[in-house]
This record gives sequence, C-alpha cells and structure tokens, in this order.
Amino acid sequence: MESRVERTDAQVVRDVLDGDRDAYRLLVRRYGDTLHGHALRMTGDSDDAADLVQKALVKGFRKLGSCRDPDRVGAWLFRILANMCKDQVRSRSGRAIRLDRVESALRGDSDPEADTAGAEIRSRLWGALDALTPEQKEAFVLKYVEGRTYEEIAAVMDLSVASLKMRVQRARKALRGLLEEFA
Amino acid sequence: MNDESLTDRRIGDDDWERMIAAFRQSAPHSSGAPPWLETRVMAEIEALPEKGSLARALEWLVRPAPIRVSPLVGVAALALFALVLTVPRGSLGPSGAGPDGVAAGTEPDNETVVYVQFVLDAPSATSVAVAGDFSEWQPAFSLDDVDGDGVWTGRVPVEPGVHTYMFLIDGTRWETDPRAERYSDDGFGNKNAVLAVAAGA
Repeated sequence: MESRVERTDAQVVRDVLDGDRDAYRLLVRRYGDTLHGHALRMTGDSDDAADLVQKALVKGFRKLGSCRDPDRVGAWLFRILANMCKDQVRSRSGRAIRLDRVESALRGDSDPEADTAGAEIRSRLWGALDALTPEQKEAFVLKYVEGRTYEEIAAVMDLSVASLKMRVQRARKALRGLLEEFA
Repeated sequence: MNDESLTDRRIGDDDWERMIAAFRQSAPHSSGAPPWLETRVMAEIEALPEKGSLARALEWLVRPAPIRVSPLVGVAALALFALVLTVPRGSLGPSGAGPDGVAAGTEPDNETVVYVQFVLDAPSATSVAVAGDFSEWQPAFSLDDVDGDGVWTGRVPVEPGVHTYMFLIDGTRWETDPRAERYSDDGFGNKNAVLAVAAGA
C-alpha cells in the first residue's frame, strides 16, 4: 500500500509557485481557523472576520513568491491578516465594536439575567479595547486573549521582544486608564 | 468571580489577572473558519490570470532557495573566505569590505553616525519616507516594503543626540511613529516622535 506523506508547508509553497494552484488549498485548510479566530477577536464581527481572512489568503497567494521563509508560511499569512485587521480597525476608528453581532459568536448562557449582565461586562471590556490604537489592541489580544508568548508574537509581527513588551505595556496602561474612566 | 467589580472601581494590580480572565472568558469565540472559506478562496484564485512564462522565470530567479554544497566545496569556500579576511583593507579598494568582514553600508565609516532602523506598519501605503531634524525635515530616506506585507523598514544614518522625526506616507500624509518611546509637540497640533541616539549604539 502506498503511504501518503503529508506535504510540509515549504513543499506546498514550492508546488504552488511551480504552478500547482490547487495545492494552496492545503494552506487554507491548515491556517484558516487560526486566521479566522484572530480576525474575529480583532474585529468583533464574524462577517468582517471571514471577509478579511478570504482577502488575506488571496493576497497571500498573489504574493507567495515573496515569502522569505516557506517553512513558516503560516506565520507569514498571519502577518498579512494581522496588518489587514489593524487597517480595518483603524478605518472604523471611533465606531463602537459591533457587540450585538458578536453575541451570536460568544459562549452562551441560558439565563437571561446572566446574559444581560454578561453583555454589559463584554461591552465595557471590549469597548475599552476598541478604543486602543490598532497596534496596542493587536498586542493585547495576541498576548492576553490568545495567550501567545512574547517570542511567538515578536516572530510573527517582526518586532524585537523589547519593542513588543513596550507596546504591550502601553496597551495595559491605556486599557487600565480607559476602564477606570468607565468605572 | 464577580466580573462587575472589575470595572466598578479603580483597577489595581491585584485586579489585573482577574480582568484578563474576564477578557478571555468574554472574547468572541471562533468555532473555526466558515465552511465556504476554502471554496471562495480557491474560486478567487482560479479566476486570477495565469502568470506568463517570463513572470514565472523572474519569480524563480528571485525566490529564496537553499544552496547545497558538497563538504569539499564548503571547505574551499571557507578557505577563500579566510583568505579575503587576511587581505589588507587598502588592497580591496575604497568600497570593499574591511578586515572586520563588515559589508559596506551596514556599518558607517564615520564613527559619529549611527544607523537607525525605522519600522512602520502601513498596509495601504504605496510609499513611506522618514523625515526629521537629521534630514532638515526633508523626506530624504525612503522605507521599503520588500515582501509586500505592509511593514515598511529602512536604515537611516543619524548622528548621536536627541532627534525628532515623522513618517511621510504616499508623499502627502504625515504620521507619528506609534512605536516611539517619547513624543514632543511639533507646534502645529501634532506630535513628533523623539529618538535618542547614543554614540556607538
């Protein structure tokens, strides 16, 4: 029986660049969920998130030849998406996060009173997060919501760990001030 | 956990961890990419025009690729490299690498100048330049987005001291560096980024 060995990311990238467009499907399957999760947390809107992921993956295909490290194409695609998310957040600056549409994607609680209280908390927390700069919001989401390490984030965002820590520190400070204002 | 308490009073250090937990708990939860994503992405890709043979050839030329050499060739290359390092500086001419092996352009000949790496996330920009008091506020130094990911970078020679600068996007829009450590008012209602460069940094 012929054993089917899964292609590495680098092999997939090479195949795509050699003309096998359909091989790109493997990258969509491998990284689609991760990309969508980040886009949803950054935009708070499942439709916006899906659109951004689609655009990022198509852009990734078009620019694939410029991916310097095909073994880490997942991180490269993430970076494309992350920049598009920041652009989206920046373009709607001043507009509140569409929490009503987030609700359907949140973990549910059948208690109506608890739902109301939970929505209020979510509104305060995520409203404050939406008031940060896109860069601060991204750093906070990656570090504290997605639970990534500084090293992981720095590698993905092409920042030094020191610069990243400074950005996270600023996000914490700004968030703390915003939440105190709401209190 | 009483989540209300997190936002109903002053937030102290002790509350930080609880607030983070509340963020995580209330984060929009993705159950995965929508099922139509793969179909739509692939349909859009299939609709893109095929690259011509010339474009593919050019892409192949610039595509990063590992270079495999036999151990014998590797030893010969190392010997050649060692030979180059022992050649006196003057014999290589004014633009060659010196005995310290540092490539021209990566380290200033003038020891009073330091090369500073500037970085700006600007995915929708078509050009980014940096201007500051070190360039008499002329956008003389262009940044590059080599891989098209929206991150523009460039190394700029700056003399030691405290400087102010801004980015000029698309030749028309001035933007303050969001990564700067410090800022100062520019007198026109905006803020300049402040850069402190130590000698020999």
